[in-house]
Amino acid sequence: MIELQAAVSGALNGSLFALMALGLSLAWGFLKVINLAHFALILLSGYLTFELATATGLGPIATIVVTAPLMFVVGAVIQLGYERFDVSELNSLLISYGLLIITVQVVTNIWTADFLRLPPEINPFSAEAVGVGSLRFPVPTLLAAGFAVVLVVAASLVLGRTYAGKALQAFGQDREIASAFGIDHRLLGVLLAGAAGASAAIAGMLFPIGGTLTPDLPFEWIGQVFAIVILGGIGNVTGTLYAGLLVGAISGLVAVVWTPSTSPFVVFSLVVIALVFRPKGLFPQKGG
Amino acid sequence: MRHKGWLALVGIAVALVTLPAIRHATDFPMFYLIFLSGILFWTAQSTSWNILSGYSGYFSFGQGAFFGVGVYTMAVLFGRQGMSWWVAALAAGIASMLLGLAIGTIAFRLRSLRGEIFALLTLAVPFILASVARLSKAIDGGQGIVIPVPEAPSFLSQFQEFVFFVGGVVALLALTVAYVMQHTRYGWALFTIRDDEDVAEGLGVPTFFHKMIAIGVTGLIAGISGAVAALQLGFVSVEGTFNLDVPLFVIVMSVLGGRGHWAGPMVGAIYVYTLQNRLASGGFEGWSLIVLGVILVLVMLLAPQGLMAGFRRRPWLSAGVFVVVFLGLWLLGVTTDPVTSLAAALGVTAVIAFIPGGRRRPELGEPETGPPQEHHAPVGDEPVAESVGSGRPLLVAQDVVKTFGGVRALRGVSMTVHEGELVGLVGPNGSGKTTLVNLISGVFPPTAGTISLDGADIVGSRPHRIAHLGIARTYQIPRPFTSLTVRDNVAMAIMFGRDPLGLDASRRAAVEYLDLVGLGGRADALPGEINLHQRQLLEMARAIATRPSLLLLDEALAGLNPVEIDNAVDVVRRIRGSGVSIVLVEHLLRVVNQLATRIVVLDQGMELAEGEPAVVMRDPAVVKAYLGRQADAAGE
Amino acid sequence: MRRRARILAVVSVLSVVAAACAGDSTTTTTEGTPGTTAATDTTVAPSTTAAPSTTAEGSGDPIVVGGTLSLTGAFAATGAIHKLAGDMFVERVNEAGGLLGREVQWNLLDDESDTANIAPLYEQLISQDQVDLIMGPYATPNILAAMPVAERYGYTLPQHTAVLAPLMTYACQFPGWSIGPEPNSFIPNQMADALDSLDGAVSTVALLTNESGSTAFISYGIADDPDDPSTLNILPERGYEVVADIPYPPGYEDWGSTAAQVRDANADLVLMNGLGVEANSLIDAMQQLDYAPPLMFALFPAPGPLLGLGDAAQGTLSVSIFEPNAPILEQMDPEVGEIVDEFAERASAAQIPYTVFETQAAASWNAWEILVQGVEGAQSTDGQGICDSLHSTGADLTFSGAVTFDPAVNNFWDTTEGLKQIQGAEWVMVWPEDIAAGALAGPTG
Repeated sequence: MIELQAAVSGALNGSLFALMALGLSLAWGFLKVINLAHFALILLSGYLTFELATATGLGPIATIVVTAPLMFVVGAVIQLGYERFDVSELNSLLISYGLLIITVQVVTNIWTADFLRLPPEINPFSAEAVGVGSLRFPVPTLLAAGFAVVLVVAASLVLGRTYAGKALQAFGQDREIASAFGIDHRLLGVLLAGAAGASAAIAGMLFPIGGTLTPDLPFEWIGQVFAIVILGGIGNVTGTLYAGLLVGAISGLVAVVWTPSTSPFVVFSLVVIALVFRPKGLFPQKGG
Repeated sequence: MRHKGWLALVGIAVALVTLPAIRHATDFPMFYLIFLSGILFWTAQSTSWNILSGYSGYFSFGQGAFFGVGVYTMAVLFGRQGMSWWVAALAAGIASMLLGLAIGTIAFRLRSLRGEIFALLTLAVPFILASVARLSKAIDGGQGIVIPVPEAPSFLSQFQEFVFFVGGVVALLALTVAYVMQHTRYGWALFTIRDDEDVAEGLGVPTFFHKMIAIGVTGLIAGISGAVAALQLGFVSVEGTFNLDVPLFVIVMSVLGGRGHWAGPMVGAIYVYTLQNRLASGGFEGWSLIVLGVILVLVMLLAPQGLMAGFRRRPWLSAGVFVVVFLGLWLLGVTTDPVTSLAAALGVTAVIAFIPGGRRRPELGEPETGPPQEHHAPVGDEPVAESVGSGRPLLVAQDVVKTFGGVRALRGVSMTVHEGELVGLVGPNGSGKTTLVNLISGVFPPTAGTISLDGADIVGSRPHRIAHLGIARTYQIPRPFTSLTVRDNVAMAIMFGRDPLGLDASRRAAVEYLDLVGLGGRADALPGEINLHQRQLLEMARAIATRPSLLLLDEALAGLNPVEIDNAVDVVRRIRGSGVSIVLVEHLLRVVNQLATRIVVLDQGMELAEGEPAVVMRDPAVVKAYLGRQADAAGE
Repeated sequence: MRRRARILAVVSVLSVVAAACAGDSTTTTTEGTPGTTAATDTTVAPSTTAAPSTTAEGSGDPIVVGGTLSLTGAFAATGAIHKLAGDMFVERVNEAGGLLGREVQWNLLDDESDTANIAPLYEQLISQDQVDLIMGPYATPNILAAMPVAERYGYTLPQHTAVLAPLMTYACQFPGWSIGPEPNSFIPNQMADALDSLDGAVSTVALLTNESGSTAFISYGIADDPDDPSTLNILPERGYEVVADIPYPPGYEDWGSTAAQVRDANADLVLMNGLGVEANSLIDAMQQLDYAPPLMFALFPAPGPLLGLGDAAQGTLSVSIFEPNAPILEQMDPEVGEIVDEFAERASAAQIPYTVFETQAAASWNAWEILVQGVEGAQSTDGQGICDSLHSTGADLTFSGAVTFDPAVNNFWDTTEGLKQIQGAEWVMVWPEDIAAGALAGPTG
């Protein structure tokens, strides 16, 4: 029955957006930085994946070996910059927007504005799906969901169970007090930003697998990703995943029950309603 | 600065009216009018954005919503239905304003919707509008709308002149509104909201009302501007209108130019538009976003106040350099095109903005000099210490309960403050003292119980209304308005207090209160430049400037050394001497002893004891609560 | 460190100033290249009237043609095709002695794929740079934005890609690509004709529509008139049931859900009035559901990427006014073959992904031919003169034959557009039969 299939396809699609939203949400919640440059890292990773995959003939997934450490470093360096210049939350938004448009332009200049797709020889996944009963789970977004779950579980374990994680939570709640307790927020912040960068690399890798690349993609992503960040709760790792799945499923359902043009209307109205009644997100964590 | 501002506006108006005529006379290419039309459009959009987001700090990502409503109202009413264009433009402004008010009604009513949440809310709105426009065949249906060329009045024979003129009128409107707001209480209210909304509300600023005005004005201007832009575009589509271009560019322009000044966004618009224009025509389109991004990053790191602030520190140098470079390059024929000269001149002048130092200009302009304004500030010289508890009951709190989630901060406290009293409210940490103060001042409502002032129930009233009824408070950690001078901090309390005066009069009257607390000599300093003690005195001066009948001092002496404490005690006495009743929340018992006519002791949310200081402090229960069982056992 | 950062700031700002000064010249010229001679001195298009054939350079002031294209931004890929076609055309004109004996120069600016730039740039070209002639930009919204400017100054506007006839109301606008005065009727009817020839192999259709501009117009007609001819109206009238009607917004991503809907509709023909790579995304998504429609049609796809899908896209149909298939080239002037080969070579060198000279490039060629023939007919560069000449004598186009311009139908000449189909590794014209290079392959499976 198509509604179920549509919801499933949509939810998997949403998990990719959740993966994108993860790094953004973590940085916002714990480092008090609204880092639009995260989208720049995802975009760059996508193009690098394309280049590396076509140049070396390795599968696109293997390119993570190069892109993830690279983006870890880039993310860490950007955070170092924020720390060094003592950038406020609002200013981080504007600065990272500057970095984003620079990146988009550089990508355009290097790779042109044309659509880029990995040829099927290099990317066998683009048209494949895993079947369970009568339902099909498209492989590219299934991979996305897989990565998303792994990263979310890892993140919540780290945040909840390790010293570093708890220190980050404390830091996120009250910077000054946390530093008074000797928590080296700088190092932790930089590590977290690096991890967010690595997650951006993974998200970026998944795009050429599933579809086409164009330099303007970040501006298409911003709306949905922020919707997921809000609905999931800023800094709420598992909430982000649930929100991504939810938004995706709803989008898919609305697309087949009504029309695809109705989906954004429903999703963003939901965001507005959620902001009014549940500003902390739809999936509040206990404690908090 | 006042006069210079007016001159600038008048100058712009004159230029607008005469440029088309000059063009007829000298026949300079139409291209320059078009270039200027582009700047006028972005000036109107950025300035309108700034009125809400720059002045009040409520960052909006939704400028595209107002712009889009403006564009589509014009497209549907004029393009499709054939109404006259200026009626459509007005309708566009009104529709956009109503949208703004609707957003404000939802967003501003909720306490939790601050800062970034508001920004995200406004980000969602254009997406919703875009899908509605696309879904509805009555509006767009996906195919776009053609907008015919309107009938222009005869003195503007050419279409581009018409666009220039109308665009100029809109831009002028935007600038004038921004200018007027900045120099009147409307803008001031927004500045204080930006600095610290809770404090502003507590000092009597009706924050909701002023925010609604701001968002309404933003919508109105942005809508009319969008409508006029539609006339120029000739063809509008959903994806061309409701994208992130307008929302992001107005932010960049306003931030670059400076958010605290009415001309800031215009300066930013000129810079960004000229830059993009020159890069494109020079064949450097591939660089345009890179350069813009780099400039944005640099300005945010090194001159976050924006270029305008830098120029105002060295106004003559900036103006001089600009004029010399611009005219020099143009007239000497170094560049073939005045727009290129403009770009070069702007670039060179921008350097000046980065140089630190220069004249320190308060953001809101210099205060007018003139005779001090009488505001009947309390000038009691005699410290009053005798008990005057025979006054009528002023504040009556009855069985007040307050729970936060699972925590019961207050479990049924009753307290009465009589006119003329100085009640000391004491108790160990966590006993609920500050909670009680917050309840009385209206920060949040009690879970149960009643609070009345002068017989009138104040539970559920907004803090600014409670302030107007006569209750003022200070904060334990001082919260001055950081972008206003010491004088202006007090002035705005007068302006919105129970005995309001106009802007200039308030500034002159502020001196009296500053003298009362001993801050007269630091009137023009910024709060960041004075020490903790002085900031606490500023808190007090600001609070009494609202002319309260009841003043709640929340640990006003925290962190002071003995000399400062004595000084502060003196000040409190003088305040009391003028007839203000006081509730003094304090830890320092010797201070309480010195000042209070009566003491109320709280412990764990309950009233423990109440009465004359000497008596209460010897009450064993009180001693135990403060010093613990051992001290009690030791017989202290 | 702050000091170094400030120095950095100053340097950056000054470099911007330098860039501004470097950008002082307001023109980016693409000049014809006199001196390179073709093997013979035959003129470019059969109908270009006599021009001095021996001198490579024209005499007198050059004729400057102003225009914009999307050299950067979202439409840059197609913009590059039009730029190359235009360059090649201008070179050939100059090689043959120029226009009216004068060298042609193309003053091309980048509109960055941003509609808001169009009007100011055309104003600049006309009023400041004072070009003699103009050529339209790429993409319908941009052409619509340039039209009022051309109208105000009385310049004839040849354009190559706006097919929405009802909107193109300026009497001196001339289309290089025409789908007739009523494309919303022509396309569905032609499709029905082609389907008719398959003798009942197709009876149901699933309709998907990109809800913007021309694609929405072809699917639904004029927005507020439900009786306007449209795919949705005409196909049922011709006996084909529309079993699914799925409009989607530009930038749509959730193809998995839509593919499920399409699969469920189980139509014989999936008719996608879409753009760019939307057909690719849909085909991928359908494959993931293990579904391949018997027959598929895409209205305005990016041609290259669909070929790249290999087997999955075999048999996909689209519209075209020209494909360089061998049988077609054999019937045309050998010159055309040279143009096609040269285009392929230069496109490849310029790293344009799809190097085939087809509909877009042919439309561009048509537009330039219209301009040149108008000028020659009027023997001047006066806009009104050119317009009148074209109205009275029409034009003779290499790729579309002899055409006439009737202002009553906004100059949209009777179209020669047909259907093309992916067969093997290329697009092959398959309909109507009299211009086809191959047979229309029916539904599979």
